[in-house]
Amino acid sequence: MLLDYDRLGGWRWGLVAIGSAVMLFLLLPIVFIAALSFGDSQWLVFPPPGWTTQWYQQLLTDPVWVNALLTSAKVAVMVTLLSVVLGLLAALGLARSRFFGKSALQAFFLTPMVLPVVVLAVALYAFFLKLGLTGTLTGFVIGHLIIALPFSIITIGNSLQSFDSALEDAAMICGAGPLEVKWRVTLPAIRLGLFAAAIFSFLISWDEVVLSIFMASPTLQTLPVLIWSTLRQDLTPVIASASTLLVAFTVLLMLLASFLKKGSRQ
Amino acid sequence: MTTPFLQIRGLRKTYDQVVAIDQVSLDIKQGEFMTFLGPSGSGKSTTLYIVAGFQEPTEGQVLLNGKSLLDVAPNKRNIGMVFQRYTLFPHLTVGENVAFPLRVRRRPESEVKAKVAKMLELVHLAEYRDRLPGQLSGGQQQRVAIARALAYDPPLLLMDEPLSALDKKLREEIQFELRRIHQETGVTILYVTHDQEEALRLSDRIAVFSQGRIEQVGTGEELYEHPSSRFVAGFIGNSNFLPVKVEQMGGGRARAIFPNGQAVEGDARAFAAGSEGTLMVRPEKMRIRPHAASARGLAVTVRDMTYLGDSMHFAVQTPWEQELAVRMAVGDGQGLCIGSSAVLEWDAQHGHVFA
Amino acid sequence: MPTALSSVAVPARRRFRLSAETRGIKLMLPVLLLLVLCFLVPVITLLLRSVMEPTPGWQNYAELLGSQTYVRVFFNTFMVAGVVTLITLLVGFPTAWLLAILPQRWSRLMFAVLLLSMWTNLLARTYAWMVLLQQTGLINRVLMALGVIDQPLALVNNLVGVTIGMTYIMLPFLVLPLHATLRAIDPSTLRAAAVCGASRWQSLRLVLLPLALPGIASGALMVFVMSLGYYVTPALLGGTSYMMLAELIAQLVQSLLNWGLAGAAAFVLLVVTLGLYAVQLRYLGAGRSEMGGR
Ligand SMILES: Nc1ncnc2c1ncn2[C@@H]1O[C@H](COP(=O)(O)OP(=O)(O)OP(=O)(O)O)[C@@H](O)[C@H]1O
Ligand SMILES: [Mg+2]
Repeated sequence: MLLDYDRLGGWRWGLVAIGSAVMLFLLLPIVFIAALSFGDSQWLVFPPPGWTTQWYQQLLTDPVWVNALLTSAKVAVMVTLLSVVLGLLAALGLARSRFFGKSALQAFFLTPMVLPVVVLAVALYAFFLKLGLTGTLTGFVIGHLIIALPFSIITIGNSLQSFDSALEDAAMICGAGPLEVKWRVTLPAIRLGLFAAAIFSFLISWDEVVLSIFMASPTLQTLPVLIWSTLRQDLTPVIASASTLLVAFTVLLMLLASFLKKGSRQ
Repeated sequence: MTTPFLQIRGLRKTYDQVVAIDQVSLDIKQGEFMTFLGPSGSGKSTTLYIVAGFQEPTEGQVLLNGKSLLDVAPNKRNIGMVFQRYTLFPHLTVGENVAFPLRVRRRPESEVKAKVAKMLELVHLAEYRDRLPGQLSGGQQQRVAIARALAYDPPLLLMDEPLSALDKKLREEIQFELRRIHQETGVTILYVTHDQEEALRLSDRIAVFSQGRIEQVGTGEELYEHPSSRFVAGFIGNSNFLPVKVEQMGGGRARAIFPNGQAVEGDARAFAAGSEGTLMVRPEKMRIRPHAASARGLAVTVRDMTYLGDSMHFAVQTPWEQELAVRMAVGDGQGLCIGSSAVLEWDAQHGHVFA
Repeated sequence: MPTALSSVAVPARRRFRLSAETRGIKLMLPVLLLLVLCFLVPVITLLLRSVMEPTPGWQNYAELLGSQTYVRVFFNTFMVAGVVTLITLLVGFPTAWLLAILPQRWSRLMFAVLLLSMWTNLLARTYAWMVLLQQTGLINRVLMALGVIDQPLALVNNLVGVTIGMTYIMLPFLVLPLHATLRAIDPSTLRAAAVCGASRWQSLRLVLLPLALPGIASGALMVFVMSLGYYVTPALLGGTSYMMLAELIAQLVQSLLNWGLAGAAAFVLLVVTLGLYAVQLRYLGAGRSEMGGR
């Protein structure tokens, strides 16, 4: 009865009350910055005395912010491509092979996910200092790639697992070469896994703060880095508008993802 | 007259638009084994769940010993229940599972111990006391569930298709045990199944459900010999349905004619003369005679015959090209062969006319 | 010609299987190379520096564990992580429970909110809390308008702010997996507890909580571990006087250039983190490989 919603009695209202409070708590900051970004109070008075789009105008006309936005996009796109391709290779390798120590290797592939990012960031920072890769696009891409890869490998691995390898064998017996089999049979079957991995990777790179702080230079920074350094000085509403854009973009990608998922069920 | 042990009165339950059950009424005697039989979705579980307290009826009343059960919280109803799926507590051992209802009733530990031992004895699982449910077979798990449901001596035990997840052999084994447990404990049982054989084997009485209503209540024999509707006749046992037109009614019997104009008689409820109906005859109540002399019989052609060891099975074709099944003792079918013309007969009392 | 067909098909199949075992390894090489070069080597180098700089020896560890300031950082870190875990559990369990039993129409909505919050940029969320919690922020003004307080509370630049911000971030990480655990429990089990005579409290204590325990434990452990290593939120909401471990590591590298001490602090964080994950894998069975390991 504790797991029957309509037979919970009074407890149901207790749960609903807590659940609603949590939902409000989760929504509050997101709605709040969206509202602030259109408010005309420099001092972030809420509710704002009037409405304006001036913070967005400032944001989109300031070359520093625009450059940061472009850098973020460039890095995220490269990370997405690399993460999907390399993740696919690794997932295929893991799924289609058997050897001693395989589970250890698999665990190793996933460690960047559980390691505190700050440790990885500091370690990579030291390493890239020596190689002269800090403040370069390559530095950003490698850093983001390392934390995006585990998600890619898991997502693609899961979709490979539900895909029957007997199908590949069948195609093979029908006379298709190994490469042709991968291209014609395997890839279409795990298409959704690939899309999901791409969206994950993009979002991870797009939102990554800690690694980026260490990779950035005054001339090359991503949007989160710029928000971070601006935040440490003051709480200007321009950040609210930048944040709102980030949220809007995330929502867009989430909608795309759920749309793809729905499409797959039909 | 004493009040019946359990009374179910005019139950109705709707989900939004869907009517799950309607006008379900039933009296159950103490110590009775009552089975709800019916196809999937006919409302058996819903009725049982209302008695258990998992669901509230939209209308109606349930009385135990004359007192309403509906006002009592499920955990205070003191009813035992065994579910279709295995619902043992997976984190507790077999012994702790059986002890659970006693512990929540805060019975003294010595009593709990003795009772658990006794219940496990009853279901023949004494040596499994310290195992976890996951280490038992499905049949053993259901037996533990029975022990748990009976541990606190509930006056009423509800069972919702408890054996449907088991294979045939196990099912029969536990059916046998259930009969024994019923006899040993004298507990009143409400049992849900959609397996007619199981219902016939276990029950004192059977309530046949169809589309949220009770079609007929009676002993297995009553339902088999005197079904009150075409649905019940079709659901319990095998039957032949022949199209007829009713000509005359009288004294619970109908005179009717077959499509070929031949007249026939059968049991019937009230019927308007001239209406279309169906005559039902069980395969084993029919006889096939080789000569085409008798005027009372129906002329048929033998289409197929199968030797089944203890009986012979025939498929015969009527003049209007309907195929009927007939079962006879092996010796009675002599002189028949496939393709031969024959006469089909049955005693008038074995024919039932339905709308 | 069935015989001819099978004599061709079987060897083809076998050859494919055999070659696949080696090709599989080749496919993994790029990722392996990348991770060894740009992950394993740098991390090990950093850790080695803790015993090599400025001179070989354990002095970095002695300093880290001997100094009042640094011990305070450890204390802050573990305390915040502990409190955040506790609050997240207390609030997250009922939420996950509700999410698991709500009619689909409503649970979809809850899901959307949880995912939105989880995927919203970390800085955006933290920024919002900085504004909401400041002296003149919405929270203080609402509390004052309601007459709950007379003076604005100090909610940022201290551990209160950090705790609120971290709880916000960690809630979805607990609720989503815990909801999956609760969903996997057959509601009939709880119905059985009720017919057996258990009151709601007894059902909760004797059946639901024990059955949800693996999910609760692994969720709590995950929240705790993630909280230990968090950088951005503590740095922004905690201010400089209430430092946590991740922030200390960053500071040591960025401002003090003390790589040895940073390496030692990183090592401590790493050991605790991986140790707790190992506990989780070992005892909570989260190690059932998530991937296609056949
Ligand atoms: N929660 C519900 N919401 C809507 N309709 C329901 C619900 N539960 C049951 N029903 C409907 O009520 C009717 C009766 O269901 P019930 O479960 O009692 O049937 P049953 O006889 O037990 O069938 P089965 O043999 O499949 O268990 C069915 O038509 C079913 O679709
Ligand atoms: Mg049912």
